[in-house]
Amino acid sequence: MAAVTHHPAGPRRTRAPRRLKALRYAALVVVLLIMIGPFLWQLSTSLKGTTEDIYTSPPRLLPEHPTFANYRGVADIIPVWDFILNSVKVAVSNVLTNVIGAAMAGYALSRLRFKGRGVAGIVFVLALLVPMEATMLAQFATMRSLELNNTLVAVVLPGCIGAMNVLLMRNAFDNIPYEIEEAAIVDGANVWQRFTRIALPAVKGTLAVVAIFSFMGAWDDFLWPLIVLSDSDHFTLTVGLNFLHGTFSNNQRVVAAGTIIAVAPLIVMFACLQRFFFRGVGEGAVKG
Amino acid sequence: MSTSTTTVAAKGVAGRPRAAAPGRRAGRPAGRTHKAFSPWLFLAPGLLITLAFNLYPFLATVWKSFTDARTLTTGEFVGFDNFTALVHDDQFWVALRNSALYVVLVVPCLVLLPLLLALLVQRHIPGIAFFRSAYYTPVVASVVVVALMWVWMLDDRGFINGVLHMVGVDPVPFLSNQWLLLLSSMALTVWKGLGYYMIIYLAALANVPRELHEAAEVDGAGPIRRFVSITMPSVRSTMVLVGALSSVSAFKVFTEVFMIAGPTGGPGGDDTTLVMLIQRTGTGLQGRTGYASAMSIVLFLLTLVLMLLVLRADRKDKD
Amino acid sequence: MSIHRSVAIRTAVGLGTALSLTLLTACGGGGSGKGSATDGKVEGEIKFQTWNLRANFKDYFEGVIKDFEKANPGTTVKWVDQPADNYADKLSADATAGTLPDVVNLSPDLAYPLAKAGTLLNLDKDKVAAKFKPEYLDGAWQGFDMPGLDGSYAFPWYLNTGPLFYNKSMFKDAGLDPDKAPKTFDELFADAAQLAQKGKATLAQPPTVEDFGRYGVQIMSEDGTKFTFNDAKGVDFLTKYQAMFKEGGLHKQALTLTAETAGQKFLQQEVAMNPGSAHDLDTFKKNAPSLYNSLGITDVPTNTGKQNMYLQGLSVNSQSKNAATALAFAHFVTDQKNQEDFGHKVAVFPSTKGSLDKEYWTKSDGTEEGKIRVASAKMLPTAVNYTPVLFSDEMKTILRNEIAKCLQGKESPKQALDSAANQMTKLIQQK
Repeated sequence: MAAVTHHPAGPRRTRAPRRLKALRYAALVVVLLIMIGPFLWQLSTSLKGTTEDIYTSPPRLLPEHPTFANYRGVADIIPVWDFILNSVKVAVSNVLTNVIGAAMAGYALSRLRFKGRGVAGIVFVLALLVPMEATMLAQFATMRSLELNNTLVAVVLPGCIGAMNVLLMRNAFDNIPYEIEEAAIVDGANVWQRFTRIALPAVKGTLAVVAIFSFMGAWDDFLWPLIVLSDSDHFTLTVGLNFLHGTFSNNQRVVAAGTIIAVAPLIVMFACLQRFFFRGVGEGAVKG
Repeated sequence: MSTSTTTVAAKGVAGRPRAAAPGRRAGRPAGRTHKAFSPWLFLAPGLLITLAFNLYPFLATVWKSFTDARTLTTGEFVGFDNFTALVHDDQFWVALRNSALYVVLVVPCLVLLPLLLALLVQRHIPGIAFFRSAYYTPVVASVVVVALMWVWMLDDRGFINGVLHMVGVDPVPFLSNQWLLLLSSMALTVWKGLGYYMIIYLAALANVPRELHEAAEVDGAGPIRRFVSITMPSVRSTMVLVGALSSVSAFKVFTEVFMIAGPTGGPGGDDTTLVMLIQRTGTGLQGRTGYASAMSIVLFLLTLVLMLLVLRADRKDKD
Repeated sequence: MSIHRSVAIRTAVGLGTALSLTLLTACGGGGSGKGSATDGKVEGEIKFQTWNLRANFKDYFEGVIKDFEKANPGTTVKWVDQPADNYADKLSADATAGTLPDVVNLSPDLAYPLAKAGTLLNLDKDKVAAKFKPEYLDGAWQGFDMPGLDGSYAFPWYLNTGPLFYNKSMFKDAGLDPDKAPKTFDELFADAAQLAQKGKATLAQPPTVEDFGRYGVQIMSEDGTKFTFNDAKGVDFLTKYQAMFKEGGLHKQALTLTAETAGQKFLQQEVAMNPGSAHDLDTFKKNAPSLYNSLGITDVPTNTGKQNMYLQGLSVNSQSKNAATALAFAHFVTDQKNQEDFGHKVAVFPSTKGSLDKEYWTKSDGTEEGKIRVASAKMLPTAVNYTPVLFSDEMKTILRNEIAKCLQGKESPKQALDSAANQMTKLIQQK
């Protein structure tokens, strides 16, 4: 039934049985429950008070006496706001460095002619082939010799200008018609002016994509911060939540509240910027 | 989208104005329109970061893999010792098996299920935007966050076992059985990836001519036959792409298994994946950096092979 | 966003230094300059690092530091405290970066790799430090003897045998005497069997290397070159644990739980016993009042009559710029007066000679805590550190994994222990 993809306004539309439509909605709802059910269950758990048994069978879907006590409890066990601030710092820096660095490099690769451009391009393509997981130990050693280990700078640095983003930006710049820039050259604009006033505004969409994926990537990252950070003062939210999960005084309701705190901002951001999220998937995947 | 600001202030002109000959293709100016060093200024940050934190660490890893370095010592050159030791290391083979299993079981799901999902949400029926967004929600959340949610769902006395208990099924030991732990992690990976690949397929499906389906329908082809003979071939290159993307990331899996099976990789460490083993062996006060670097090299080579295999399958298909 | 600017600046600066530094380290020229002489003048600033002690003992340490600075004019002690988790990571990062504090709080297993890398002062070989040796219990001083490194690398500090907590009401429900906790492993196995009959688990974690030691298994050969816990006694011990696991004496998730998550199971009253530390009492009081009311505290079962000694010490950085001050301070914190004061603050024990003969540790004041204190102090002079100094995290994982395979029935106890001992022996021979 899923393969029915004919024209919605086609002449045979009236023939399409209503039953099929109901079936499609039923399927949509079932998948919906699978996809967001765990979030709702977590939300419900986080609102249940200490007196309420959370281990019942059948599971009780709604909290009997909803309470925010668990949300306060999170802050008692881990400095969750500090962790969030750390994650925000990392994510925002990652966005800025990636947007600026990748745009600049992508512009040079796409719009400027110079000796060594081919080699520079190859460097970025090669970088794509090396998984971060295979070099993380050496990266850690580098950070230590720079005395940057256990700092947020070290969390940001390795991914601060992703090779993938550089190539994405190069492709985006490739699509600007040259005539536009030509006119500016005639007007006597220098490279930097052409870059900031003509090229950048023309690729705003891709910049947004790079920004969003840089943000998500940094916010989501776990393995690298886990390796490079050792003081809980500098933990990002993901490492902090893992820590919360592992603490002795762990309480399922509090962990649930912690995860909701962590996920809520992202869901809000997604709701506001949906268009770019979906666009980003297309561009990132097709051109990667 | 194209906000073409062609009027540029002409002050502070650096390059001489010169009418450049139209390039052979758009975006390729023929004459020099900038100072010789400008491109390098543009490239410097990106190039330096990539060289310093991507290619240099790679070379350092290659070098380390031939030494007996530890966290606190630089170590000495030991030739291929680390690699021969790997061959005799049971833990390494277990980890390799788990990572390979991850690819074998996760990738087919991630190639097929999101395609079905895309077909389900493809039609513009009322409310469809809501469903699409909802299906994408797990992509937005951090792996750590969704893993914690799953751990709670899969608990001995959690939601799923609570429901099973209702219908009289004994508690399923999701969080203590070696294989269930691994399968649960895989299910998590699939669940979290569905929305992402669904969007990729949606973009691809938008390009499938509707006439094809209509013609087939007139011919009396059922939904399954239409799926196999029309939909699949027309999104085949996207399927290969999804296969390539998901197999590389499945092979490098870390967070899902680390969170669900625990840092030591399940009972007896039997759920350890390759990246987990690298992390465990190579870090800490007495970490064996040299040995773990050898594993990293294996990881690198195998991801490369995996990518080539998928791409080659694609080419063969096309021939 | 100020972080962004600092990122940009540090990136630029960092990249330059990155290349030069990596070249340096690649050439092996770490420039490990020797520290200053230990018999020099006691003056200048030093950095002192403790492990997870600030939260509860801030006033105590600030007092000790003030006393030291007063007694030695011209000195400043900068105190930093590190949280319980990831301490090893922090140490290794500092040690390689050359930023290890002048005086560091270490346990023997953490001191070993640092001593091996040459970052700690060998107290036996230092003429100033060696003089202090007679002030400490012999066993404690030897606790920091590093095999193959010819000397002791830390001033012994506080000792502990580590209490075992148990849930009295669970004992009662199973028909056991809530005031009679198991003293030997045979009693433990018997109690576990009875608890299991009621469907209750006794412990949340499989045995550790200390448990083998307390059972009377010889962990390593006398010369420290080989692991020997795979002898008949070790196999016998694991066989009994295997039986206990099968009948439900261990928590179902015992093979995947960490020390912390095992603690949760005890909190949730899913297991009847759990080893812990004195700090845990607060956690129980706050998070599980009903458990706290039926909490029993006892010594961990032992068949050797000896307890496992958990030992903390203070090491001096061999590259310290003010080595004389660092040494003087490390000794000052661990001298008899300061150690006894500290022992009055929390349920740990001083490692200075004669301290344990004082009334506080020999006569009970009648309270529950007092009784336990006296009982534990009695065990201390004979206690042994059953964890070999060179027992690394990797070895811990190996032992844990092999035991898990055995408990699941994938390997026989003999196979599991043979395999673990072989792998570990290989690791120490690699060096």
